[in-house]
Amino acid sequence: MAPIAVGDTLPDGNLSCFDAEDKPQQVSVHSLSAGKKVIIFGVPGAFTPTCSLKHVPGFIERAGELKSKGVDEIICISVNDPFVMKAWANTYPENKDVKFLADGSATYTHALGLELDLSEKGLGTRSRRFALLVEDLKVKAANIESGGEFTVSSADDILKAL
Amino acid sequence: MATNILRRAASSVITSKTGSLLTGTSRRSYASVAVGIDIVSAAHGVSLQKARSWDEGVSSNFSTTSVKDIFKGKKVVIFGLPGAYTGVCSQQHVPSYSKNIDKFKAKGIDSVICVAVNDPYVMNAWACKLTAKDVIDFYGDFDGSFHKSLELGKDLSAALLGPRSQRWSAYVVDGKVKAFNVEGAPSDFKVSGAEVILEQI
Repeated sequence: MAPIAVGDTLPDGNLSCFDAEDKPQQVSVHSLSAGKKVIIFGVPGAFTPTCSLKHVPGFIERAGELKSKGVDEIICISVNDPFVMKAWANTYPENKDVKFLADGSATYTHALGLELDLSEKGLGTRSRRFALLVEDLKVKAANIESGGEFTVSSADDILKAL
Repeated sequence: MATNILRRAASSVITSKTGSLLTGTSRRSYASVAVGIDIVSAAHGVSLQKARSWDEGVSSNFSTTSVKDIFKGKKVVIFGLPGAYTGVCSQQHVPSYSKNIDKFKAKGIDSVICVAVNDPYVMNAWACKLTAKDVIDFYGDFDGSFHKSLELGKDLSAALLGPRSQRWSAYVVDGKVKAFNVEGAPSDFKVSGAEVILEQI
């Protein structure tokens, strides 16, 4: 699958998380993004440094600003299970806006064409680091790193696209 | 005697739930865990990843630990569970071992090991969260190969976990399994806790 690009339609797929009653559930990407302006950013792995210390905090800090520019949802996805994503999200108690969704089987990451083999590092198939701006399912900006670097996929970078 | 049968027919052994051995005509290509088997032979060539931070990974060149290095010449109690940060695993299984660590030491156990099909960074963060890292050695079986080689893999996709493992425990001396317990269902916690295996050492 070729990596997702500007002009593409965002594919649908199921991601998982915990609901208000703390039960694991699946949620469709389209149900969160149809008719809306959303940012989806992907990280190689929960509890790894760039993801935890730079990428996620950037979006939490800029959430207010992003929302004031009309962004309806800010979604963080990673190839981890929903238990791990929930525990990782809980390490950001100040977060109110970023949704942490799990792509445990990497199926959605594969649909985006953004998979990355990190078996050597003990991680298996994961996602490249990226940030997408999507308006009513049309990709308006696709900032994709070649691996896990952090040069184009930050919240500051995607703010420029708004 | 039983061990010799196993070595000759490692690919055709069926084990019953009580852990006794029966030779059969199975064509499975992986050995099962049971009392008497050599875990290093069963998990031949398999490595685990010690729980670590990313920086520790970088400075160690993302090195792994072979099953041989974990078990050879040592008295080990090892327990496996479906997933870091999940209910029974966090609230019952790990605490059962961490609070009994002195009893294991008194019985001459070299290490108590917790393993799950998670990456070593998640295992590390979870071990720190449970404040168990200084008493239990946590290892990640990130691709499930260790559990698969022991036929302890379990598909937990229904629980949104994907391919994981059974909940189990074993007492292993110089690679030989002396005691082995596996739950009927991964959500159970009846036979794989510290209290049970302490009686078996």
